Order: sequence, then structure tokens, then C-alpha cells
Amino acid sequence: MESVEGRPPESDLVERARKGDARAYERLVAMHRQTAFRTAYLITGSAAEAEDAAQEGFVKAWRSLWRFRRGAELRPWLLKIVANEARNRVRSSGRRTSLALRVAHESSGDAAPSPEASLLEAERRETLLAAVNALPEPARLVIACRYFLELSEQETAAVLGVRHGTVKSRTARALARLREEVPA
Amino acid sequence: MSELERELRSLAIEWPETPALTPVLGRQRSRRPLVLALAALLVALAVALAVPPARSAILRFLHLRGETIEFVGTLPAAQERSLTAGLGRELPLAEAEARAGFTALLPAHARVHHAFARPGVLAIRLGKGRLLSELSGVGLDVQKKLLPGATRLQAVEVGGEPGLWIEGGPHVLVFLGPGGVIETRTLRLAGNVLVWEHGALTLRLEGPLTLAEALRVAGAVR
Repeated sequence: MESVEGRPPESDLVERARKGDARAYERLVAMHRQTAFRTAYLITGSAAEAEDAAQEGFVKAWRSLWRFRRGAELRPWLLKIVANEARNRVRSSGRRTSLALRVAHESSGDAAPSPEASLLEAERRETLLAAVNALPEPARLVIACRYFLELSEQETAAVLGVRHGTVKSRTARALARLREEVPA
Repeated sequence: MSELERELRSLAIEWPETPALTPVLGRQRSRRPLVLALAALLVALAVALAVPPARSAILRFLHLRGETIEFVGTLPAAQERSLTAGLGRELPLAEAEARAGFTALLPAHARVHHAFARPGVLAIRLGKGRLLSELSGVGLDVQKKLLPGATRLQAVEVGGEPGLWIEGGPHVLVFLGPGGVIETRTLRLAGNVLVWEHGALTLRLEGPLTLAEALRVAGAVR
């Protein structure tokens, strides 16, 4: 069955990959590589380590694909494997991650605001991100997963290896702290 | 969504460029060498057990993740008990899975609504006196004590994964809790059983089954 874009839906690709179709799996990798890489980057704090973790995670997922439950969502499962791989790398290297995310300076594409407004907006963004970077790691990771990677609560739980309820409570606490640090 | 959440979503983060990622994909599963190694080990063991001096020197000879098999001269005292002895109360499946910390693997088309559970373990009654136990290797290990000669072992393969068929005289099943402490509530005699690895779990199917029946049920587990 073809989707509206003329590409097979993910479930078809998963089914083919489960039967050993490497090309179908490569397409799945292409679909999820960005989120997987960025997830690993959040955990390792290093682009090179994140690339290795994502690469290895995708290989492990391929080998374990027969275990993937039919009908389940692939992305949380994939991200969990990649996140575990990333954590293992951090653990075995014995170093602490000190990731500081930065705001990209790119045009929004909207009608250009006044220079003053632009400056204020930019300052606000920098201040907000600095507050996120200053959060303890568990809080920073949950904010990054939920709002920067736009993962669902279920996906965030899989990535962080915690329960769904923990994601909710951790997110609420992190947001409360950000509201204190960066009042509207 | 609050204003703060909207602001966070709209922050354009400077991510490193996503690499191409071209994982080298080998065969999806290749556990046959392990199965063959297991079979060779069983043959070697059978030969060794035929020689009395060697017999006493052999202790835990096999360890299928979470399941240790040990030949002993005398079986420890144990009695025939229900397959679910010591496993506590049967719970609704979702509750049991939450307690065990993983999702149950079930034979296709099996109608299962309840399971016994403890952290790292699920035990599911499949009817006809059969019990499917699933161990994640967290919190509980299983130890089997066998009498050489009375119980036969056969290396098998279930869906490409290594397994063992244990048949013949009863053997003693010992559950080991954290720190290797024997859980006496669960100590019992066990009958024919198929033990195999299924991904991250070790599964055991026990009950009045022949090897062919056990393999058929095990092969349907997803």
C-alpha cells in the first residue's frame, strides 16, 4: 500500500525490514536519523560520539528488529536503543557531558520586525536558552526532548529510560523553574 | 500549551549537521554458532559425566542468561508444587507488565488477560497445565539442579535463538533473589521444560509437553 506521497507507509517498511529487507531499513534510517542523532547529541554532548552512538544504535536495532512488536510505534523503540547506546558511551568514557545548546541565528521568514524588537527577541531567546542550559541534567534533557526535539511524552520516557509519569512531573518542575528564572 | 512552552518550541537550536549515517547491516540474527556451541558442550558434558572422577568436578556448566543448570549428586529436598507456587497473586496483564518492567511476549492468538509478576519476571498460564515464564535477568535468576542420567538435556533452536530442552526425571527448580539468596517459597520439582533466549528475555515453557509441542508453542511467541 502506498501513502499519499507515493511512499510506502512506515509500517510496510518495518514489515519488510523485519523480513530482512536492508533497503527498507535504510529508508527507515533516513526517516529517523536526524532525531536519533540529535537525541544522542543531547546525551553525549559531542557530535562525533553522537554519530557513533546513532550508527551503532541503528545497527543494533536492525539486529533486534524481529523483537519489535508489530503495530507499535517504531520511533520510540529506535530512540530508546540509540539513547542507551549514547549513555553507554558516556558511561564508558567516564566523562561528564557539558552540553551548552546555542540559538541558531537564522531568518524566521516572517515580516522583519523593527531592529529594537529584534534585539529584544534575540536577548529573550538567549536568556531563555541560557536558563535551560543551567538546569540540572535531568531537567535539561526533558525540556530538550519535549520542546527542542518535539518528542512525545512516550518517546521522551523511552529516551530517558523513565516512566511516563516521571516525564510529566519532571517537565512540570523544569518549566516552573524556568518561569522563575526567566519571568515573562 | 503555555506561552513559555510555545517560546521553547520556537527557539531555533543550533544543531550540528546530521551525518549521513550508513550503518553496515549484517545478518539480522546469527545465533546458530551459539546453538552449535551449546550442542557441542552438551555432548562433551555427557562424555565427561560418564567418567566418575570428572563428574564431581563439574558444577555449573551451563548458563543461559538468567538460568543456570547444575548437575548434582543428590537433589535437594523439594516437593511437587503448583507451577505458580510462590509467585503471589495473579494480576491483570497490564498491571503485571508494569510490575515486571517489560512487555510480555505471548504466543500468537493466545488469549491472555492475567499474569503473575514480580520485578524482572512474568509467569503466564497458557492453559492445559502449561506455564510460560519470562525473565529479564533483573531481580531473579533460576537455577536448575539435575541428576545426571535421570534427566536428559538437548540443545535446540527456537526462532534462531539458542535453547535447551530438559526432559525425563524431575529436577529441582530454585529461584534466586537479589544476592543469590534462595527463595524457598518457589523451590519445587519441575518436569519437562523448554528454556530459550528471546531477545533480551529468557523464556521457559513448562508443563506436560513433548518437545515438538513445546517448540510449536515457543515458535509462536512474539
